[in-house]
Amino acid sequence: MTGVIETDSLTRSFGDRLAVDRLDLRAEAGDIFGLLGPNGAGKTTTIRMLTTLLTPSSGAARICGFDVSREPGAVRRRIGYVMQSVPWQVNRLLRAREIVEIEAALHHVPQRVRRERVDEALDLLGLLPHADRLIGEFSGGMHKRLDLACGLLHRPELLVLDEPTLGLDVQSRHRIWDYILGLRDEGVTVLLATNYLDEADRLCNRLTIMDNGRSVVSGSPAELKHAVAADVIQVATSSPERLRDAIAHEPWVKNTILTDSNEVHIYVKDASQALPAVMSLSLANDLGLERVTYTQPSLDDVFLLHTGRELRDLEVGA
Amino acid sequence: MAGRVISRDATSSAQTAPGTRASGSACAEWREEVAALTRRWFLQLVRERLNLLLSVTQPAIWLVFFGSALGRTIDRDVIGTSNYVGFMLAGVIAFTVVTNTVTGAMPMLWDKETGYLDKLLSMPIARSSLIVSRFLFQFVLGTAQVLLVFVVAVATSVDVASGVLGGVAILAIAGLLSMALTALSTALAYRVPSHGTFFAIMGVVTLTVVFLSNAFVPLDSMPPWMMIVARLNPLTYAIEAMRILVLEGWDVTVMRALIVLGLFAGGSLAVGAFEFRRHTGERTR
Repeated sequence: MTGVIETDSLTRSFGDRLAVDRLDLRAEAGDIFGLLGPNGAGKTTTIRMLTTLLTPSSGAARICGFDVSREPGAVRRRIGYVMQSVPWQVNRLLRAREIVEIEAALHHVPQRVRRERVDEALDLLGLLPHADRLIGEFSGGMHKRLDLACGLLHRPELLVLDEPTLGLDVQSRHRIWDYILGLRDEGVTVLLATNYLDEADRLCNRLTIMDNGRSVVSGSPAELKHAVAADVIQVATSSPERLRDAIAHEPWVKNTILTDSNEVHIYVKDASQALPAVMSLSLANDLGLERVTYTQPSLDDVFLLHTGRELRDLEVGA
Repeated sequence: MAGRVISRDATSSAQTAPGTRASGSACAEWREEVAALTRRWFLQLVRERLNLLLSVTQPAIWLVFFGSALGRTIDRDVIGTSNYVGFMLAGVIAFTVVTNTVTGAMPMLWDKETGYLDKLLSMPIARSSLIVSRFLFQFVLGTAQVLLVFVVAVATSVDVASGVLGGVAILAIAGLLSMALTALSTALAYRVPSHGTFFAIMGVVTLTVVFLSNAFVPLDSMPPWMMIVARLNPLTYAIEAMRILVLEGWDVTVMRALIVLGLFAGGSLAVGAFEFRRHTGERTR
């Protein structure tokens, strides 16, 4: 059984900078496959290679068994691609329906079902009432939804979504999430690139976390979080290094990480037992605690564990 | 929106069978692509009424402006005819064709810079349909302009010596010139790093090409160096032939111009195709 996406040491360099470095991905039919990573991790470069817009420097990638470099035409017939930023300005004088009709023709949707498909796509994303408006009047969320509508017109075997909710308001995000979850129920294979942890956690059944062009770790969100530890205790203190040194060698501590935001993250098996111990060790060492919280591990902890950096900070910094 | 069903009909399974094409032959698909992309260009044009109006009437406006304002100041012995509007007609058509090539390549430049070209390139379409659709659009727009300027010229004072057939020949000459120049400006649009360079180059080149031709001044009255340069300018051949068709009738010069312009258009198309392939080759190799 061939996967929908298969890459083999997929690599792309620009000059001497390695944007994507020996990436191995595998997504099966029906997967919502996530590429999670900070900006500049190589997600878009990967997607550009998978959508035949960029030739790999070395390695190979196959979509539905077709090589992206040798059989780009066959690949293009099987994918729908929704770009990160929708270049709507070039079409601002067109009506929403006209754009969908034009894209349907470019994807060679058979004439006899074209009208029906166009209506269906617009309806699915709640744009039917706005079908005859010029898209220059649309909001950011509507542009994105229009692009998503176009992505599915030709019933692609793989839908590629590059940061589908980047810069959108909460309401639009939830709307698009619902849509992607609907696709999962339909069995459409989706490749979803995102730098939002909650998005990846909520939508994807398989994930590859990327950083600096490399695959950091792969698995289902549950597996990845399970591998971190049972619980994470986050301690804010004025002297994080001293706290870490004080507790690092305790037998109930699995791992400690000093974050960029000057917190100590303590990975433990059971937070309810470990919390009193953290408190008493802090008192014994005369360390002032500002805040102590504990959480189930998130994908942020997974990223932190594997890269030593916090994805949230990178998001803010970007 | 959630939970809505995407109907899976018989066509979708036929479409996704390995190696099969969605509908019809490659040729039918190509026509479909060109039609869809051309529709996009025309929709953009008709939605901007002022743009549409000025695009189509521009050469007629030039003719009236030059004809009435400059006509009186021109020495008839220099231009060799008493009909200045008739003399100007060929120059105005050529000038329009040159102006069109700048505005004609602009949308290609925007598509490239905004990333819409990438979206198009990720679709199962022939690369040539992107270029051909624009050529088709330019051709229709150019024809409309030339027809209008003809009507205005004939209505005012010009009697086309070569008759209706000569009018068709003038359209053909303008078409060849337009094809050649559009190919070159499209090549430049794909070549340049950004639109700033494109407009800087086009600003210098278009005016130079027009003024170093016989658009407004006959070759005989130019200084020798300028005459040599103008003789190497394809625009000169187009204008010369169109002018003779208007003022004198059929002549062997017309044949010569068609050959020169045919060669020029062929060469330009080759350059355009090469640049387009170079720009997209990175992706499609």
